[in-house]
Amino acid sequence: MSYFFQLVVSGIVVGSIYALSALGFVLIYKSSRVLNIAHGQIIAAGAFITYALTVWVGIPIYLSFGMSMIATFFLAMSVERIFLRRLIGEPIISVIMVTIGLMSILDGLIYLTPFGTENFSFPPYLPTTPITIGGVSISWTQLVGVIITFSMIAGFSWFFKKSTIGISMRAVSDDQMASMAIGISVPRVFGLAWAMAGLSAAAAGGIIGNITGLNFDTLHAFGIVVFPVVILGGLDSIQGAVVAGIIMGLIQQFASGYLDGNWGLNGTGEVMPYIILLIILLFKPHGLFGIHEIERV
Amino acid sequence: MSSNRWLATGNYFTSYTEEQRVFATSLDRTVMCVFLCILFAWPLFFNVGNKYMLVIDNILVAVIAVIGLNLVTGFAGLISIGHAAFVGIGAYTVASFCRVLGDSHLVITHCWPLLIVLAGFMGALFGAIVGLPALRLKHLYLAIATLSFQMIFQWTINFMDFFDQGQTISVGRVFWVTGKVARKEHYLFWYYVILVVIVIVSFGVRNLLRTRYGRCLVAVRDNDRAADAMGMHPGLIKVYAFGLAGFCAGVAGALHAYLYRGVGFDSFTLHHSINYLAMAIVGGLGTLQGAFWGPLAIRVLDLQVERLSEWVGSHLTAATNLTTALRPLSFGLVIVLFLMFEPRGIANWWRIVRSYVKLWPFRY
Repeated sequence: MSYFFQLVVSGIVVGSIYALSALGFVLIYKSSRVLNIAHGQIIAAGAFITYALTVWVGIPIYLSFGMSMIATFFLAMSVERIFLRRLIGEPIISVIMVTIGLMSILDGLIYLTPFGTENFSFPPYLPTTPITIGGVSISWTQLVGVIITFSMIAGFSWFFKKSTIGISMRAVSDDQMASMAIGISVPRVFGLAWAMAGLSAAAAGGIIGNITGLNFDTLHAFGIVVFPVVILGGLDSIQGAVVAGIIMGLIQQFASGYLDGNWGLNGTGEVMPYIILLIILLFKPHGLFGIHEIERV
Repeated sequence: MSSNRWLATGNYFTSYTEEQRVFATSLDRTVMCVFLCILFAWPLFFNVGNKYMLVIDNILVAVIAVIGLNLVTGFAGLISIGHAAFVGIGAYTVASFCRVLGDSHLVITHCWPLLIVLAGFMGALFGAIVGLPALRLKHLYLAIATLSFQMIFQWTINFMDFFDQGQTISVGRVFWVTGKVARKEHYLFWYYVILVVIVIVSFGVRNLLRTRYGRCLVAVRDNDRAADAMGMHPGLIKVYAFGLAGFCAGVAGALHAYLYRGVGFDSFTLHHSINYLAMAIVGGLGTLQGAFWGPLAIRVLDLQVERLSEWVGSHLTAATNLTTALRPLSFGLVIVLFLMFEPRGIANWWRIVRSYVKLWPFRY
């Protein structure tokens, strides 16, 4: 039974990171209807900036964590400004393909640095002995990661509920014409949505980097696992992203905990989200919390 | 219309049948015939090294795959981020025969044309399965479905013993009427085979696009509600588009397997899917010519990037893995720049040059 609870705990840890990664993705989709395929690369960039600032420059980790969030904030904002601003009004298919191109460009830029091929891990700055309660253990980095994740998600929800910018972003996602009419600058909101997405991606990257170590393939994979998460949660729902992230984390941990090694299966945790994705697309395409606006054409 | 076509500055169609012809004028037909003859004859006059022949074969295999991708992304307007997986389905169809029967069994060495067609049908089957969500959804979701198919494919190959966990599965040498194809002539032989397949596929697609079964793809891309009102079933047509794309991809995959005499996991990853997309975009989406220009341009770019990074690597000792960095960088830049500045691709440049020559000395 403690094995089960251990899986639940690690599922919640992984799932909360999924939720944070998916959050940025949903932000961009919600405001501008763009699927950001390059999200994983921004996550990776955030993690690498955090590492470089902490280990190579020698800044305390909490400070460099914040600085990397600021850096990706501006990175994502400039990506929107340079590449996507001039594609407003173009068919959505070419906008998505631009993000595919961006993914390739960021891949190339990351491979230029040592992070592309080598593995790094953060020096320990928290107690290394895990906390064990009744046979279920959780490491300090995981615990701190989960706490940071949930506080960030809470912060984002507050931001969207209460702040003026957040409300104007929700207005744009609701109706662009109407929000233009009441004086909201829609391109600025698009830029801000990207910037916020970059910020949350860097946070996710920093936490993943601390828990699993820095490996470009792992970090990049988080950007793709985001797709099953957001489809399960509904593409345009922030609460959906959070709930679905945790569900997906649990499913993944249970799959690799109970299926691997039986019937010659291996690495099922990696593939399970995609199988679920295809099933959801066939039977409940708007996800758990998504708006039922899908046309049957 | 009995005037001298050689002097005409444009094509004037007086009936729909005339407009829908494969070749607009007899001149076009002659030029195409001569061009095809040159394509078939030139290896007899020039002695090309195996290294370059492999590059050419490689481009031609990519052409077949990109024709398929162009059908689904260019003509039907559905993004496919998993095209390399469909190519992989074709290649692994051949490979699974090799695993079961042994790599130089009679079926693999003698019945290879059948196997290539079978691989095409396997690709079509998987394409249609992945396209099934199209019955309920619009294209954004389909892009995600193809992406997830790519991931499932990679996992299946990587973790299944039957596929040797992604290790290279060797494929035997084939027989032709003159006997076993020798090592020296291997690439030349496959050049001819692939060329014949390309001619069949591209004429097939060109003809398909003239019929209702091809035009319905374009109708669904341009306005699916209008297509619905015209009595088509947009969902089924999207599934069918994926099936067509899968067929071309499967054929390309089988040819890839035979050409390299082996199937390995490395050739069918997400990066390759993006490569195929880059080829389709650079060539020009929604044009058949684009499927020829794109692979050519991207492969040439690829070779230049390789040479550049070798040159830089010889000067800077620190830059060891420059190729892995510069390749995605250049592909990404090419995709983004083409989408931003020339969304109609190289095929558009070709159209401009063509109309310039045709209308000369008048300006367009």
